[in-house]
Parts: sequence; C-alpha cells; structure tokens
Amino acid sequence: MGGSSDLVTVRGRVTRSDADDVTEEDGPVQASTPIARRMAWAGRSTVAGIVLRRARDGAITLVLVIVVIFVLTNVVGNPALVYAPVDASDAEIARIEAAFGLDRPFLERFGDYFAGIFRGDFGNSNWQQRPAIDAVLEALPATIQLSILGIAGAAFFGIVGGVLAGARPNSRLDRVTNFLSIGALSVPNFWLGLLLIFVFAVRLGWLPTSGRIGWNSIILPAATLAIVHGGRIFQLVRSATVEEMSKPYVRVARSKGFSDRQVLTRHVLRNTGLTTATIAGWEYVRMWGGAAFAIEFVFAWPGIGTLMINAAHRQDFFILQAAVIVAGAFVIVSNLIIDLMYRAIDRRVGAA
Amino acid sequence: MATTKRRIQRIAAAAIAATTVFASGGQVSAVTTTASTAPDTTRSLTVAVSTEPSTLDGQVANDRNARVITGNIFESLIRRDREAALSPGLATSWETIDEANWEFVLREGVTYHDGSPFNAESAAYSINRMLADDFETQRGSYIEGIVSAEATDEFTVVVTTDGPNAVLPLQMAQVPMVPLDAGDEINSEPVGTGPYAFGEWQRGQSITAVRYDDYWGDVPAIESFTVRVIPDAQTGLAALQAGEVDLVLDILPEQVDLVPQVASVHATEFSYIAFNTYKEELSDPAVRIAMNLAVDKELLAETVYSGFARPNQAQHLTPESLGFNDEVEAYPYDPEGAREMLAEAGYPDGFAVTLNVPIGRYLYGEETVQLVAQQLGDIGLDVEVREWEWNEYREAGRIPGTEEGAFDLKYGWNSNEWFDPARVASHVTCDGGSSKICDEVVDENFAIGATTLDQTARDEAYQTAWAQLHENPHAIYLLQQDLIYGLAEDLVWEPRLDDEYYVAEMSFS
Repeated sequence: MGGSSDLVTVRGRVTRSDADDVTEEDGPVQASTPIARRMAWAGRSTVAGIVLRRARDGAITLVLVIVVIFVLTNVVGNPALVYAPVDASDAEIARIEAAFGLDRPFLERFGDYFAGIFRGDFGNSNWQQRPAIDAVLEALPATIQLSILGIAGAAFFGIVGGVLAGARPNSRLDRVTNFLSIGALSVPNFWLGLLLIFVFAVRLGWLPTSGRIGWNSIILPAATLAIVHGGRIFQLVRSATVEEMSKPYVRVARSKGFSDRQVLTRHVLRNTGLTTATIAGWEYVRMWGGAAFAIEFVFAWPGIGTLMINAAHRQDFFILQAAVIVAGAFVIVSNLIIDLMYRAIDRRVGAA
Repeated sequence: MATTKRRIQRIAAAAIAATTVFASGGQVSAVTTTASTAPDTTRSLTVAVSTEPSTLDGQVANDRNARVITGNIFESLIRRDREAALSPGLATSWETIDEANWEFVLREGVTYHDGSPFNAESAAYSINRMLADDFETQRGSYIEGIVSAEATDEFTVVVTTDGPNAVLPLQMAQVPMVPLDAGDEINSEPVGTGPYAFGEWQRGQSITAVRYDDYWGDVPAIESFTVRVIPDAQTGLAALQAGEVDLVLDILPEQVDLVPQVASVHATEFSYIAFNTYKEELSDPAVRIAMNLAVDKELLAETVYSGFARPNQAQHLTPESLGFNDEVEAYPYDPEGAREMLAEAGYPDGFAVTLNVPIGRYLYGEETVQLVAQQLGDIGLDVEVREWEWNEYREAGRIPGTEEGAFDLKYGWNSNEWFDPARVASHVTCDGGSSKICDEVVDENFAIGATTLDQTARDEAYQTAWAQLHENPHAIYLLQQDLIYGLAEDLVWEPRLDDEYYVAEMSFS
C-alpha cells in the first residue's frame, strides 16, 4: 500500500532494519483502514499541535451539545407544564414559569445559561434542591469507575480472545468464541444485566444484586459491560488478526522457521496494536453514549446514568442538562487521550 | 436447598452488616454483633424505593418515596389510625373556638431528636414556617385557607383560618412538626419527634434512620431501617428475592408469585372514565347510565388486574372516605338493559365517541380502555381510542367541555389521601377545573361540605351529592385498585390504607 510506505518515510526517524524484522519489506502498518489513515494524519503533527487542534474541535462540539440540549429541554417541551400539578390552573402555570424565568425571551435565557456555565453555575435542581452540577459531579466518579473496569474487562476478553481465535481461523476455538461473542454483542445489555443478577445474586447468592455497597457490588455491572463491549472488540480484533495473518510477511517469517507464537507476538500483535487500541477507545466512548447508563440503572449504580434517568422522570431539566454537558465534555477529553494514545503506540511500533 | 437458603440468609446478614457499617459510621463492634446474632430483634429493615427523595424536609416532601423516611421521622398534631380516621398525634385534643379559630391541646413530654422540647412555640413556628410566601412545598393543599398559628400557653396553640375551614383537622395531619428555627439544613438532615431519628444519607444510594430512644410513645421493635434506591423494578424484585431488601413497594399483579410474601390493601386509588356531559349525545343522563351498565367491572378486575382491584361503588371516592354513600350500588353489568336505554334515549344505532388515555401513565390503563371500548362497541357505540403522550393528554384534558377539542371520554385515576370529598370537588362541580358536568344539587351539597364545620352535616351533604351523581353520572365508574407489596418472608406488617409506611408498625417474626 502506498499509504503505509508513506507513513514509514514521513516519520523519517524509523529505520526498521533489525536483522530479524521482516516487516520492512512487507509494509509494516497497513493504512487501508480509516483508523490507520487518521493515524497517518495525526502522525504528522506534534503532540502540542494535536492537543490544540483537538481542544478546538472539542470546544466546538461541546457548544453544539449545550445548544442542542438546551433547545430540546426548553423549546420542544415546556418545563413549567411538566412541573405543574395535574390540576394546575393557568395562573399557577404562569407563576411557575415566572419562578423558573421561563417567561423571558429564549435567547436571553440561553445567554444566561451559557454564561452561567463558565462560572460553574448550571442552575439549581428543583428535584435535589441544590446546584445541579453538585449532583452530577458527585455521581461522576461512580460512572468513571464502572466504565473503566468495564472497558478493562472488555479489552481483556476481546483482545485475548480475538487474537487467539484470529490466529487460527476456523479452528474449534475460533468457532466457539466467535459464536459466544456474537451472542454477547447481540443481547440487549439490560437484559443481560438482569440475567446476571438472577443467576449470580438471586440463585447463587454470590454477589449483591445492585447498589454500590461493598467492594463486590461493581462486579456484576462491570461484567455486563465487559461482555457486551468485549463481544464487539473480539469481532474486530479477530478480523484484524485474520487479515494480518494472511499477509505475505507472515508466510515469509514462517518459512524462515519462526514458530507461530513468535510470529504472533513479535509481528502480528504489534501491527494490529493500533487497530486494537482504537477499537477499545471507541468502545469506551460508546459506553458513555448510553450503554453504561442503562447498566447503571439496572444495577442501581449511583452514577450519572441513573441520575439522568431519574432527573428525566423528575422533570429536572437542570440536572439533565448538566449531566449531558459533563458527559459530553468527558467524552471529548477521552477522545483526546485516545488520540494521544495512538501516538504513543505508534511510536513504540516505530521504535521497535 | 436448605444450604442455599442458609447461604442467602448469610449474605443478607452480611449485606445488613455492611449497611450497618455505613449507618454507624464504621463502628466495627456493631457489625460483629449484627452478623453473629442475626435473627429478629437486632435485624435491620431495608425498604426499596424506585426514586430518591428530593428532600427529607417533611414539610416540603410529599411523594411516597420521601414519606417512607419522613413519615417515620416527623409527626403531625393529628395522625390517621389504621382505619384512616383522624386520631390524636402530637395534639391530644382539638376543638373549634369560633368559625375561624381552632384550639389544639398539645402532648406534654415530647422532645425532638436534637433534644429540644416540643411545645406550643415550636408547633406554631412549624405551621407558620409552611405558611411563609416563599416556602416551596409539595404540601400546598394542606395549608390552603390557613392564616396563622399562635401559641397561647406552653401547650396550647390556636390556628386561624380565613373562614370556616371544614378540612383543617385533616390538613393538620399533614403538617409535620419541626424544631424551632429549623433552617434549610433539615432538607438533608431532618429533625423531628418521630420514633426514628435520621442517620445518614448516601446520595443516590440509601438513607438510614435509627430508633429514637426518648420517643414519647411505644418503642418500635425494629432498631434501624434503611431505604435503598433501586430504580429498576426488576432489580428491586431480585433484591427482595436475594434477601437484600425486606419490603418492595408497588409489585405488579403478575409478579406476586415471585416474591416471598405478598401483602395488599384496597388503596384510595380508583379509575374512571369521565364524560363530557356538554357533548350532545352525552348530555342525557340515561345515555351515561347505559354506558355504565355496558362495562363489566368484575371482568376487568379479575382479568386485567388479576383480582387486585374491585369495582368502584359508583362514587368518585373510596369507602373509607368521609361522605361515602354505602347505599349507592355499583352499576351492574347489563348490556341488554344498556342497549334498551340507548334506544329509548333516541340512539338505537349508537353514536361515535372518542376515548382518550395517556400512554404508560396508569397501570394497565391502555388495556382497560381497550376492553371498555370493546364493551361499549357491543351496545352499538362507535368508540375511537386515542392514546396520548402524558403532557399532551394533560393539556388537552384541560379544555372545557363546551369548547372545541374537549375529550368526549377521558380515562384517568384519582386518589384521595384526604379521605374527604373536598379533595375531588374539582372533578364534579360546575366550576371545577377537571369537571365537565354541572349539576345544581351536587354543587349545593359540595358547598355545604366546604363551609360547614359540623362533620356529620358534611357527611350527609356529600352522601346526597353522590346519590345525585348516581342518577346523573359524571363518569363510567371503574375500579378501586389495590396497592401490592412484596415482603420478606419474616416481615410482619399490614399495609395501611393511607399509603404511609410506619416502621414502628413492622416487626420480624
């Protein structure tokens, strides 16, 4: 591929001339995937450049998130009407509108809200009767904890399984794990959560059903996330490995007498490493796009997912807005970190 | 099997021990005693609720998830007994001085959890705190018509109303007493006079309360209890099955076989389908009676609600309520008679109506409406069911009967936690916000009920009104729904009519 030789030469400092490294002739990093092309693009920049550019993109995205969530909660629905008692008179509704400041022009309200965000003021929750941001920040660590453990489990199962299965396509191991992973990524995550609760908490009594009480409360929700997301990581890692194993250089290496294990660990793993890291990063972000939230709700895990769902039930728009914005900001920062991680892995590939 | 059970019990004990660690702020001694002597007397109670309370200020919160806590921490001057009748609480007696003044004689020797004494000064402060203009409360209906409260001596308080206020005693059953100069901090650290004192609130997870040793009344059997927030109903059920929680509110009829022990009570909640009597075809009472005869309430209760409901006795309230007319009977199921009445009224071929129901709001609301529509169809009506998103339903439901777009038939539920018809006046009087009927007799009697202080006279007036509404129905009266609870096997408790959850009335066998 032209792209791959590009990558090697652009980086310049890479020599790749170790005696036993056969990758040089055969093109080390395939740029055929969008991920790798994005990598190639990112590889041209300095760390500071990436950070700046991504920060700018992130800021724009975040402003869009703020606008969209504010419009959804304030224009599409009338917060006063949903907050008013069932039998409320028009006068009572008008009073509530005035109390929330809803009688003012939309742009003025948005301006105030937007300016408030810079002061850390996301409005006061009418449900929790305290600043909305306090409730969100209090719930955030629980979600971070759960999602990190979830992605660690998912990455472990997905990568180990995917590499082993992909190394010997159509072997019995491959077929069994492939079947299991398709099952894992096909079941609705909340259903899987309830199933695990039933088996491990109700029937076997090994673990608590829900909550965040003891150290072991996190096991079931994290396992649910790990299974669902691990299934997807498995699929992608497996196909990347299968593809890599069919490359000519693998045949060359084998013909030179390297064992399968050596080929796998010294070459294939390195070359699929980027794809793997990218997939894991995407899956992590995807958790923040909703999967972790649904799981939190099922397991009564006191994170921002549960908070958001309850806030929606309670018609608490301030917490809902603050939670969406904070989660959005977290995803943007995570993306930036993932971008930097590519670079780190990329360098290691290069430096080898 | 036996070992599994023992293991579950052990886990339960461990879970309780774990909660105790949090409750006691990590006193390890408490854990070991709880774990080793697991049974009965030292066992803590855990209740699952679906949403976290917004506040623990008993004067502000009124949703059930909050009351599970605040109802045990706070007390009011009057309380309801198990038959829902008003009985002495922190006041031992009360009487009217004149039309606008009520005198309450308070119980002596009562202290708040912070050690301060309960007296007329703190009682008057408590009432006046809720009356302040800027006091935002979900209990607004309980202070309507009250002007002020004043301590006249150490244990006497006088409450002044803006005119004859017949419902003041029941209002005073919902005005919790707080200590003098209670500030906003009782939002999160409530202080009352009840049998349990606040322990700890772990936001998003649980709230704990512990027995108050200086309580003026009988000492409760259960030492402490925890309210755990479990939003997902399935998970709450699983937690009950696993022995982690002892009481789950709102079990569905189809789940009763899955819980260790079931308890239910005929609640104050009832379902109905309100007529727009201003619509031409529905203006004739005979037509509305025919439509009541067309619906098989028994079938509805037995099939849709698996028996956890009973036919409403054709009144817009439940039997425990003041003013309930026991002589009024539920309309029988008589489709033949209904068809004849329709023909006599001039509609032998029926007519078209719309039946409106909100989506996902009322338990089995959509299923009920389908069945009713079918049975109305059987007597020749052409019923179109319209399902609404809740907020749109509320908005459209407010359109007056005489205007374009008003609902012909509106399916809804009401509850009456006042146990007093004054609470539902807006559904049946001419000017009522939710009413699409105007009947002089009803209005006269509701007016008597609103202004007369003699409770016997009120009772009679309301009974007359319901008898009148039986001849001139404002709704198709459907069912009175049960509240269903899931209990741990060893929890002893009879659910209350008034939707209160007094842990002092619970124990473990």
